[in-house]
Amino acid sequence: MAEEMFGRLVSIMMVFSLLLSVFTTRSCSDHVPLIMWSSEGGSLWTQDPPVAGHIVSRSQLETYLSSAFGSAPNSAPHTVLLFLQDRLSVDDITLYGGVFGNKQDSVFPNLETALQSSSSLLVLPSVSGSASVPEVLQGLLNVAPLSLDPEQLNELHLDVSSPALLVFRLPFGTGSNEMAPKDSLRENDRLMGNVLDAVKAQAVPYTAVYTALAPSWVTRDVNPAPQSVGRSLLQATNDVYAPLQILDNMGKVCILFWASNLTVSVLQSGQWQKADLTDKTFISSGVEKNGSCNASNSQLILKYGNILGFQTFQLTFAMSQRLYPVSARQWFTLDQVQLNYDGHNATFNGSDGITAPSEYSYHCQMVSSSDYPLLVPSTPTDNAKQWILTFTDFQIQGFGVTGENFSYANDCASFFTPGIWMGLVTSLLLLLILTYGLHMILQLRSMDRFDDPKGPAIAVPQND
Amino acid sequence: MNGQALLYGGVTVAFWSTLLVVGICYTIFDLGFRFDVAWFLTETSPFMWANLGIGLAISLSVVGAAWGIYITGSSIIGGGVKAPRIKTKNLVSIIFCEAVAIYGIIMAIVISNMAENFSGTTPDTIGFKNYQAGYSMFGAGLTVGFSNLFCGICVGIVGSGAALADAQNASLFVKILIVEIFGSAIGLFGVIVAILQTSKVKMGD
Repeated sequence: MAEEMFGRLVSIMMVFSLLLSVFTTRSCSDHVPLIMWSSEGGSLWTQDPPVAGHIVSRSQLETYLSSAFGSAPNSAPHTVLLFLQDRLSVDDITLYGGVFGNKQDSVFPNLETALQSSSSLLVLPSVSGSASVPEVLQGLLNVAPLSLDPEQLNELHLDVSSPALLVFRLPFGTGSNEMAPKDSLRENDRLMGNVLDAVKAQAVPYTAVYTALAPSWVTRDVNPAPQSVGRSLLQATNDVYAPLQILDNMGKVCILFWASNLTVSVLQSGQWQKADLTDKTFISSGVEKNGSCNASNSQLILKYGNILGFQTFQLTFAMSQRLYPVSARQWFTLDQVQLNYDGHNATFNGSDGITAPSEYSYHCQMVSSSDYPLLVPSTPTDNAKQWILTFTDFQIQGFGVTGENFSYANDCASFFTPGIWMGLVTSLLLLLILTYGLHMILQLRSMDRFDDPKGPAIAVPQND
Repeated sequence: MNGQALLYGGVTVAFWSTLLVVGICYTIFDLGFRFDVAWFLTETSPFMWANLGIGLAISLSVVGAAWGIYITGSSIIGGGVKAPRIKTKNLVSIIFCEAVAIYGIIMAIVISNMAENFSGTTPDTIGFKNYQAGYSMFGAGLTVGFSNLFCGICVGIVGSGAALADAQNASLFVKILIVEIFGSAIGLFGVIVAILQTSKVKMGD
């Protein structure tokens, strides 16, 4: 019974040490284990054990100990042997306690023996460092602690009737430089064994407590509120700028727009002239941003000066949102992108492709009027035929903007492209046909009803 | 449980569980709007539908014909062992089955002649006429294929019975032929409907 308790003790300690190594965010990670056992007497566990990873505070320790010592007639013996090691952590027991099936390597043979032969056991894997155990015991037992060397115990006569608190400072700390931790622990265990033998020789019921003043394994304090570790591309490009914001009358952001590249090209005298407007729009302040938002329409107006030889150049994005009854939700569309240049208009329609549910933003790697056009000239004879508008890594949101970041981006690229779907449909059909054919062939059986291998062969008449 | 049943069972479970899991994920993440049947129908090329129709027209018809012929043929050959006089007369059942395959190939050629090139890459530029053409050809192919499939099986089984009855009693054959004629009429119905389906097809720009 006590053996499996020891086994349970070390397994609990393993779990706790694992959890403790994970939960390092406490600023005060100063905790020591406490093992208490009694040679006779009742159960020391009269309360619920602590939750895994919980550091027992001083008041909780007092509750545990007072219930252990106070509940007569089954209380623990009031002769308390307190083994105080300089430094001890649960991890020491895990490392050196022979818990991985290597019992022979354990440096705590006397401790194990004592626990096995004890009548009850209390294990608190982490007691707060500020809960000074000697003081708590002193307060409970109402007796002054008596510091002893282990050798002096033989000279002392223990009296069962009165409580006693004998404190043994185990001289070897696991942080010391003279001895390897393993050896110092083994030495301490030997001393403990000597003390316990001496007490046993006097046939005195005792309660022993093995704990430490400070932990030997101090885990590094980790910043309790780490920065959000978002993933970022390894090839994070040059400069990432914030999206362009337009505020409504109340000063809240209502339109967000971003593109990594914005170019316009115009066909002038048979040649295509290109202008890159990215820098002006997003980085430097070379553009006048304007816009209006209401419940069903949003408009983003960007006024540039002197582009491609035109004195005035203006880009207008007109978006609208409404309820679509079949899908029972509100969708917004980028209806038109209009270019106004020197009094002329060029209008592109984008309402077919550039659409997203109202609460989300729309993102597309390439929004252009030339390749795979999402922006088409509004009429076949529109001026837009002479213009090419290209956005790379385009993202826009005209409704439902919360804060300065885009909402979830409804991407124009789907998981399966139409080509993949066509291939899947055709392959599935062919597979079905193959399966059907195979099924038929596999259930072909030849007639064997009248087979009689031992009988005579059938006679076929030669004449008609 | 034998291997075949296990295989079919496994494939079915895999299929339905994939559908279920994907559906649940779409629902949980409020991405149900991305399940867009209209997108699938408009983004897939009308040529896919047209060619699927042509392929199904001929292949399903041939399956029906082959099935019928194998059923009838086995009976004729088997019955002909003991009653050799049936073999010539019962070839008419085989011809009824073969007719089904001929319907199939004729329709496949007719439908494939309607496939023309068009220049358009987006649903807007492709235009509704081309979509209608694609879907009509698919439907016509399906129509003629399935009706010929079942017609062929029907004629085959009836022909098999006819051959064996003829082997027993020669006077039965002529009456059974009436049944076969009714059976092969249904293949013709399929052809007529398919012609009607593709009558308004006009693919191209």
